[in-house]
Amino acid sequence: MGLVIEPRVADAAPSRRVWRRFVVFGIAVMIAVTALGARLFQLTVVDTAQFQSLAVRQQQGSQAVPVTRGLIYDRKGRKLVENVPIFVVRVRPGEIPYPMRDAVVERLAQLLGTSVVDVYETIDRSAGSPYDPVTIAEEVPTSVARVIAEEHLGLPGVSVDVMGRRKYLYGPLLAPILGWTGRVSADDYQELRSDGYLAGDTMGKQGVEATFERELRGQYGVQQVQRDAAGRVVSVLKTLTEPEAGASLQLTIDVEIQREAEKALEWGMKAAGLKRGVFIVMDPQNGEVLAMVSLPAYDNNDFAGGISAAAYRKLLKDPHKPLLNLAISEQLPPGSTYKLVTSLGALQDRKISSRTRLMTRGYILVAGTKMRDWNPYGFGSINIYDGFAHSSDTFYYQVALKLGIDRLGYWAHEMGFGRKTGIDLPGETVGTVPTNDWKMGVFSQPIYPGETAQAGIGQGYVAVTPIQLITAFSALANGGTLYRPQLVRKLLDSKGRTIKTYKPEITRKLPVDAGVLRTMRVASRNVLVSRHTLNFVDLPVVSAGKSGTAEYSVRDSQGRLPFHSWFVGFTPKDARKKASDPNGFKASAGTDSQLAFLAFAFDSRTRGNAGTEIAKYFLQLHYGVKKDYRNRDLLVRDNFYGQ
Amino acid sequence: MVNVWSVFDIQLAVYALALVVIGLLMAFTNSSDAPLAAGSLLTRAFMWLAIGLVIFTISAAVDYRWSRTFSWLLYLVNLGLLVLTIAIGSGLGGVSRWVNILGLQFQFSEVAKVLMAVVLATWIANHQARITSLWTIAGAALLAGPPLALILIQPDLGTSLVIGAILFGSLFISGASLRWMGAGILMILAFIPIAWTEILKPYQKERLIAFLNPSADPKDSGYQLLQSQIAVSSGGAFGRGLTNGTTGQDYLPVSSTDFVFSRVGEELGFLGGVVVLILFTLLIWRVLVIGWRSRDPFGLAFAGGMAGLLLFQMLVNVGMVLGVMPITGIPLPFITHGGASLISLALGLGILESIAMRQGRPGG
Repeated sequence: MGLVIEPRVADAAPSRRVWRRFVVFGIAVMIAVTALGARLFQLTVVDTAQFQSLAVRQQQGSQAVPVTRGLIYDRKGRKLVENVPIFVVRVRPGEIPYPMRDAVVERLAQLLGTSVVDVYETIDRSAGSPYDPVTIAEEVPTSVARVIAEEHLGLPGVSVDVMGRRKYLYGPLLAPILGWTGRVSADDYQELRSDGYLAGDTMGKQGVEATFERELRGQYGVQQVQRDAAGRVVSVLKTLTEPEAGASLQLTIDVEIQREAEKALEWGMKAAGLKRGVFIVMDPQNGEVLAMVSLPAYDNNDFAGGISAAAYRKLLKDPHKPLLNLAISEQLPPGSTYKLVTSLGALQDRKISSRTRLMTRGYILVAGTKMRDWNPYGFGSINIYDGFAHSSDTFYYQVALKLGIDRLGYWAHEMGFGRKTGIDLPGETVGTVPTNDWKMGVFSQPIYPGETAQAGIGQGYVAVTPIQLITAFSALANGGTLYRPQLVRKLLDSKGRTIKTYKPEITRKLPVDAGVLRTMRVASRNVLVSRHTLNFVDLPVVSAGKSGTAEYSVRDSQGRLPFHSWFVGFTPKDARKKASDPNGFKASAGTDSQLAFLAFAFDSRTRGNAGTEIAKYFLQLHYGVKKDYRNRDLLVRDNFYGQ
Repeated sequence: MVNVWSVFDIQLAVYALALVVIGLLMAFTNSSDAPLAAGSLLTRAFMWLAIGLVIFTISAAVDYRWSRTFSWLLYLVNLGLLVLTIAIGSGLGGVSRWVNILGLQFQFSEVAKVLMAVVLATWIANHQARITSLWTIAGAALLAGPPLALILIQPDLGTSLVIGAILFGSLFISGASLRWMGAGILMILAFIPIAWTEILKPYQKERLIAFLNPSADPKDSGYQLLQSQIAVSSGGAFGRGLTNGTTGQDYLPVSSTDFVFSRVGEELGFLGGVVVLILFTLLIWRVLVIGWRSRDPFGLAFAGGMAGLLLFQMLVNVGMVLGVMPITGIPLPFITHGGASLISLALGLGILESIAMRQGRPGG
């Protein structure tokens, strides 16, 4: 076919065969039209009832009424969390008149600063009725929300809703305690649907946001609604479930004490170049946790806004584990602080008395192996007050061997080790208390005498969490009651009135004589008075406690083991020094202590005990001590096996 | 010179116009809150009608044989426009259906149908002597292939099938070998399993599945099918009356376009639906008559193509609304709101008139 200017003349006429084709074609048309007509007849005249019933069935349904999430306060009523209103732009595609679709989407994309294709994709991706709202953008600036509201006539089907986003007012200071809220994951949603959770809901993922999810969330209401054939809500018929606003929590935490604890811990870690640490403050009379600091921490506000996958991965990969609450989630060797258990056990089991003297040298032989004291010269013949005060290892090897590993294990369990304390946080780990049964189960071997001796000084297989340790020392301080550590005191309603009070829970009353406990309280005071902790005793605050140096991991090239530093202690109710009680023994012997504290420095390897210095600084801050008793040179990192 | 207008086929125009009127009624009801406002469906429908009439008149006035002369050019232009559509086109949900030029939307795939009818008719006419040979069929298929593929890629399965219907219609009516066509169809059927797994997009598969069982999950793909049947059913024998359709302007997302027949059923009832079907029958019959009377095999083939287009689109669109066909994006000719469809049909009908006026044997 070339490009011909002259139009062609008509060609030959159609043939007979073609006539047949016409007939066939015509018949095809008739069949098609008849079939369609019949179907039309069926729908409009014959089967109307069936379709009408379908239409009615779709007309009634239920609808959720969301409520605001409860807030969280500290014990003094300070607000720790806010629900910040954010603007969410939603679209109901069925409400956009079809010819306006492109115009609406374009304007929306323009206002939101996104592309038209993205908006269309978001709309198309959503399943369900065209009258179900599709979230297009969250946290749009107020100015944009205002423009959309003003232009609502030109943007049918587009709505701007207000939702709450969590704002954590103290960020990393309280992040390990509060946790964060995040979107319900697809898997969780399948399970939680029946509890009234909606597809885009948020729920607590960590911390008390998670443990008290039910209380904080409240109860979404359920309404029975009348919808039209398209799914649009026409009217509300009745309320099936009344909505209940989320309750607010009052924590046992005091933000001021939390700040003091964090300041002390941060100072110590910075001065010594440490990467991980814990500080806990507790009231021994009831187990209420006044402060809990775990460093490094993270800013839970990053999660509240929706953390990026990259940022989250970074936190997960950080070797110092900022997402882990070190106070409860990692098991650590307690070192000499564990000697409390050995002491109480041996005293109560009458293996030794408060007057028993044992000879201590630089080492003892246990089953043919030399087991050394930290002090190569030993302390001579000493009783438990001095053995505890000077933390003599050889003293405690002997005590442990007298007690036996299984009794030591029994007493450890009694004091809450090897078990969860039950603190209201997720992720608590139980630690390890070695016994013969335990070792048979794990290694198919009994405990060897050397291991018993090791356990007596809190090394070897023994592993505890800081919260367990402070709870045990609190039991010592209050005269023998092991409490469940408590983070939440009360549930409040939206007006601040108390709905429920969480009373202190007694885990166990220690089956230990009052006199035995008193002995150990006095011994704890002796730890300071004996100047084992150097100038700690010089503080104008009477306190008692135990330091600990816990070796772990493998030896370095010079044969030295890295170690953590602990200090756990308590102060009497009236902590002032008195002339009538110059060494503070009387005050420490009492059971009225309202302040127990624990400092833990991970991998400290300092010349002195980092935990002791940190605890000292905390007491200075807490009691307003003007003079500075800190020994910075003790925080030089030297791997010198100190106290 | 004989005044060609004296043999203007009046019936063709009347039936088409009647369908257009029904389309206007639907546009009216779909913009019932502000029918005469500037951008409303009704005013736009009038505008398209005006443009359509102009195009119809012009293409009727022009001797259709010019299109035969320029058919290669038309073919290439067609391909070019389709490529353009894919390259810079946009559409609902990330597809490439139309091209935005100066704020107006041009849906070239609609006019591609009519252009292809012209091109195929030219091909068949030129191979009239060997109409029964395989080459006639194969060559036509090869011609139809590229535009069909380009439309399929957009993705627009429905319109590409219409091209297929045009191909089939024009070949069939012209007397092409049934045996070879049958073989071709078998080949296509064999191709379907591959198409299912490799080519069909998830939403297209979903539509087919929803078609087979719409009430299984009324909230998803079967939703539209169910809603449109409910709407038609609620029309009863005589309909609920114009503008009495359920709740507002577009309770189906596409009710003013592809699902417009459900509105017809709902508001004009069984009676209205039957009238539409009868009008289509008459229109297709008239197209076939023009083809029969045409001494020029081009006219015959072109009429066959147009008849195929009309039959296929009517069947699939109405079938979809009534729940006996899967959802496709095929408009109902003359009634579905939209300029592209109306204009291409105006062009096609104009060419048919041009054929009728110049070819009609006496006694028609």
